[in-house]
Amino acid sequence: MDFTTETMNGVIVVTLQGETLDASNAKALKTDLVPVLAPGAKLVFDMKGVRFVDSSGLGALLSCLRQVHSSGGDLKLCEMGKAVRALFELVRMHRIFEIYNSRDEALRSYGAGA
Amino acid sequence: MKALILGAGRGTRVQPITHSLPKPMMPVLNRPIMELLVEHLRHHGVRQILVNTSYLSGEIENYFRDGARFGVEIGYSFEGRMENGHRVDAPVGSAGAIRKIQDHSGFFDEPFFVLCGDAIIDLDLTRFAEFHHSRGAVASLAMLDVPRETVGSYGVVVAEPDGRILGFQEKPAPEEAQSTTVNPGVYLFEPSVTELIPSGVAYDIGGQLFPDLVRRGAPFYALNLPFRWLDIGKVTDYYEVLRLAMVGGVPGVTVPGTEIRPGLRVGPNVRIRPDACTIRGPVSIGASATIEDGVTLLGPCYIGPGAVVEPGAVVEESFVFEYTRVGSMTHLNRSIASGRFCVTGEGVTVQVAESGLDWILSDARAPRQVIADPRQMLEALMRLADES
Repeated sequence: MDFTTETMNGVIVVTLQGETLDASNAKALKTDLVPVLAPGAKLVFDMKGVRFVDSSGLGALLSCLRQVHSSGGDLKLCEMGKAVRALFELVRMHRIFEIYNSRDEALRSYGAGA
Repeated sequence: MKALILGAGRGTRVQPITHSLPKPMMPVLNRPIMELLVEHLRHHGVRQILVNTSYLSGEIENYFRDGARFGVEIGYSFEGRMENGHRVDAPVGSAGAIRKIQDHSGFFDEPFFVLCGDAIIDLDLTRFAEFHHSRGAVASLAMLDVPRETVGSYGVVVAEPDGRILGFQEKPAPEEAQSTTVNPGVYLFEPSVTELIPSGVAYDIGGQLFPDLVRRGAPFYALNLPFRWLDIGKVTDYYEVLRLAMVGGVPGVTVPGTEIRPGLRVGPNVRIRPDACTIRGPVSIGASATIEDGVTLLGPCYIGPGAVVEPGAVVEESFVFEYTRVGSMTHLNRSIASGRFCVTGEGVTVQVAESGLDWILSDARAPRQVIADPRQMLEALMRLADES
């Protein structure tokens, strides 16, 4: 899955570009994100375009979260579609990830609002 | 008296529930909608019922068979054909269904009710028939009074004070509606009406037959008698009906099970230790279900027969179909779930099978592949991403 990154007030916003995050691209995404997940990084994943996440996709996001946490950084999610949000709640991932409705809210939670 | 139950719709707006069930078979707790209709018809003296079927017709036919179990005679009019061993659906519309049956045998040789297979009603059908006969009607419908702001969702009935129908307004703007009485699809017809329906083509009652009756000036009447009408047009409707059923609010439905403590009803052979769980009623659990220690059930909720709810799972204001395994990591919140799908009360679907979520929801009869410990589960998920 392709993604773009931009830095806003010290927070790296990663915008996922594909519609699906599943077994076909989860591992590649993890690998491609390695340089972005620098020690201590403050990250926001913008999920606006993602319509479908499966178990592998959840696993990839969990791996990213663990990696970032272990180096003193943080990773928050935002702009999740209804179906993806429902899936996160169903599997209780909304208790593991901080999820914000909008990119602004996510940035503000870092004290980095526009 | 005779009756026709319309049961051939695809139920597209109730997906994913209608993926494997036709709408008349959607369960209201432990009984399909159509069973409530059959019972209601029998209660009002109907002894012979025809059901037109198409989509997943076998589900209806295999449940109701010849109707003997329900104290009536039931027959089916299948709309479609077999091609290379597969059923091909070919529904002919609500009026077309009547004509097809009539062409086949002349079954409608006395006044007959027509009900939609996806709406629960408690209309006094005996009084409806009395009204119909007293007016000398060839066709009658039962009107429902609705709030003016909602008329835009219905066909508005414009009638004289004595019930004679002057016309219809299809989904009018509230300010343009000439009345607030609408047509919810409960009819009584004389056999002669069938002659107005063309043979061999799709034909609709509301959209084609009724305008024709008005045009012809036929004795066509609307009864204005309050009744409950619970239409299951969308997932949100279905969810609300299930909630209502748990508090005794659906005509003909009682909450199943024996009350073993206030707010908790269980069927036979249920395995549960209420003291080891967190339970807030009203909760009903179907026969042979398993509720493991450490489960949280927050009513209104219904757990179907043979379901398994694993330790740590939370089922909150939700409805679990039969033989569903609810995994430890699951939090069902205001949802309807089976082994194949989960849909929220707002109609948002989570594709369980496609998402590899069998550790959340699966068939309780399938071999158990679930990892119960949440920490291990998260590790397993992360490994999954590496293996993909």
